[in-house]
Amino acid sequence: MKKYFFTFLFLCYGVLFATDNVVGTTIPDLKLNLLDGEKTSIHELLKDGPVMIDFWATWCKPCKKVMRYLDQYHQEYSEQGFKVLMINQDTPRSMGKVKSYIRSQKHEFIVALDPNQQIAKKLNGQVMPTLILVDQDGSIKWRHQGYMPGDEVEIERQIKLLIQSDSSES
Amino acid sequence: MKKLLPIVFILSSLFANDIDFNAALSANYGDNYDFYSYSENRLDLNFFYNDLQGWIQYEYSNPPDVGFPINDIRKFRIEYALNDLTIKFGDIYEFWGRGLALNQIDDQITNFDNGTRGLFLSYSNGPLSLSHLNGNSSIWLFGTDLRTPFYNNSHNMSGNQFQYDWNSFSLGLTQLQSNETHQKLFGDKAYINHKLKGIYGSWIATNADFFFEYVDKVSTEKMDFFQEVAHDSLKEGHGVYGNLNLYLGNWGLSTEYKRYAFDRGHTDFTADDYGNRIELQMMPTLGKEQNSTLLGRVAHNYNLNDERGVQLEVNGSLLDKLTLTAQYSHLSRNNNWQSVTPADWEDSAIPNYLPSSDPSSLPYWENYQEISGFGFGDKLYFKLGRGNNKEILKTTRYFDGQGLSIKKNWVYTDSVEWYDEWYYIDSSLIGIDTTLYNVEAKMWQEAKSFTIPMEINYSFNNNYTFGIGFQYQERTKNNITKGNSRTYSYSDSAWTLIKVNDPDSMVYSRDTQFLINEKKLKTQYNRMIYVTLSKAPTWSFTITHDWTNGFDGPTTVDPYYNPLEALIFGDLKYFTGERNRIEPPNFIQKRWVSAELAYNITSSQRVSVMYGSIQGGLFCSNGICRLIAPFNDGIKFSYSAIF
Repeated sequence: MKKYFFTFLFLCYGVLFATDNVVGTTIPDLKLNLLDGEKTSIHELLKDGPVMIDFWATWCKPCKKVMRYLDQYHQEYSEQGFKVLMINQDTPRSMGKVKSYIRSQKHEFIVALDPNQQIAKKLNGQVMPTLILVDQDGSIKWRHQGYMPGDEVEIERQIKLLIQSDSSES
Repeated sequence: MKKLLPIVFILSSLFANDIDFNAALSANYGDNYDFYSYSENRLDLNFFYNDLQGWIQYEYSNPPDVGFPINDIRKFRIEYALNDLTIKFGDIYEFWGRGLALNQIDDQITNFDNGTRGLFLSYSNGPLSLSHLNGNSSIWLFGTDLRTPFYNNSHNMSGNQFQYDWNSFSLGLTQLQSNETHQKLFGDKAYINHKLKGIYGSWIATNADFFFEYVDKVSTEKMDFFQEVAHDSLKEGHGVYGNLNLYLGNWGLSTEYKRYAFDRGHTDFTADDYGNRIELQMMPTLGKEQNSTLLGRVAHNYNLNDERGVQLEVNGSLLDKLTLTAQYSHLSRNNNWQSVTPADWEDSAIPNYLPSSDPSSLPYWENYQEISGFGFGDKLYFKLGRGNNKEILKTTRYFDGQGLSIKKNWVYTDSVEWYDEWYYIDSSLIGIDTTLYNVEAKMWQEAKSFTIPMEINYSFNNNYTFGIGFQYQERTKNNITKGNSRTYSYSDSAWTLIKVNDPDSMVYSRDTQFLINEKKLKTQYNRMIYVTLSKAPTWSFTITHDWTNGFDGPTTVDPYYNPLEALIFGDLKYFTGERNRIEPPNFIQKRWVSAELAYNITSSQRVSVMYGSIQGGLFCSNGICRLIAPFNDGIKFSYSAIF
């Protein structure tokens, strides 16, 4: 009976607190090792505008499907300072092939490496893909777990909403 | 540990206005008819307050899917980062180079956790960074039970890393030492000291990049840590890994080489073969990381103690719509082996740096090609793959050389005649004649597989997507006997010929290991089909049908097949109460059917319910493989949320 109680308690907690928009939650300034060898941080990337963070790996099928749309949005909304940051979670077993895959797809978004899931654990991105949309001031505006075909419509809508609200405020 | 939880909540409340936090919640529940039940509930809480970061993972699992029951804070860490200094206290997971000296992960799917509970200090100044790690690791490994770990190796460890970055070059030095309490096969313990020293370097350019790592390791053993005598030398070894990538336009070639020689052997290593690689070392394995279920089941069991190999992979795209991948890898042990007797084996070094193809070195080959792409205005997605692999799983005899034929000469001093037959009643051995002849006594087990995974999805304008996937696999697994001898006479100290009077007569036989109801099967055919209907962004429904024609071992009996299986196979008696519970229909032995409904409550909350049966088998993640127990006729529920 105890185990059902705990399961029920956890579910209640989740349903009560897991809302779409967590207002006031700020993304921490985590250090990033980029695929091209450079080093930066999340707050550094936010200086130009909002950032969409996504967690992926070369062996993750749905990740690859959503990546082509994210790259498209990265290019389409770059004038508004918007960027896509793809945090790769390939382990040493396959991390040698990450750049090869990115080059083959001509993706232009920013790729960071997180081989032992330290960033993923801090941002709760262990489920792949997990999308986190962050406003320029660092506040998290939207989160999304998983990908099924058609989700790209909602992803783009959220990006547009954020860019429009930023431009109307300024 | 439980006291920490209220403290965190009190602190959180006190500083609530300034603390940023995020959390993840997962609840998994499963139950089936053959006592396979689990209930896992996990809460991850991260908080950030100025330069301070914290992480707590609370778990209530009784029992978990794999591992031990727990109702406690499972993990915690506090980090303080100020300018160039970082201090971490708690459960540390660090990663140096490509993991030849240290790569710490917490993989809850395979229940592998090699993290260190202790202290981590790091200082960086411009291109220079230094770090120090000190603490204890308690690492559990599986024995025969598929769900509860049996072996525990604990490490009291410390390590240091130095890295210098200069433009596109990086150079790192690593040092790690550990005092290990190692659990042996029958519960006895061994006390070992490990010392590792390593170097790694990388270079990144526009159209090429290169990585190299070398680690040297020495182990010594004591009867117990309280002895004051010096440790005895136990084992020495080294590991090498190299990765060169070349890029041209939208094509990339990835080449990898490895040579891990921390121990050597012609069989699998057991808990009694200690003093070699430690579990803190998790290095690249050089095989394709597969995402197809059937290819995952035939994955090679990598030997990180004794294995060398190469891997090539080409990735490219055509017409901006098609993605192409081709991969090849060849691995083997570091030595060829000869069985002087069935129990006494001698090794000889492979005479170059590349892997061997000699069966005694347990070689493994795999190649995989895949094409995927989009069409019809990106509404259609397809993927078609083709994978082959071949592996020598074990050798029980491997002798190729000269042997002696033994002819014994007797002298008979008396004899009697009885119905035209002569019987010698007194005799003595006066000598043994021996003649040299060529002996070939080879027995090994070989497995091959051929797999085709394919998938098609079509998205309609109203957010509905229909997908169908199909995987087909052919597998063979044979015990092979080759040569003119298969047994050894210990009394004569010589290999015994199969045909004593004909040393040149060679035998070649293959004995399949696949069975169905005690009848041998030459080839195992596996097929899996799954059909998915989804409506973005809310729900998806998938039916999976997995079937085979034989088993690698005895046939498993599953009389309590589920109504979903009965419905799909038109077994209407199941629903009219006339089903035969003692002898279920034959088809049910070889098929597993399940249905899963996933529903997104919000964009950050997901719930899924699975009903049916899932075939067990090999499952690999992060280079760690474990056998998954079958799940028969049950229900699985899972909930996950991030907030």
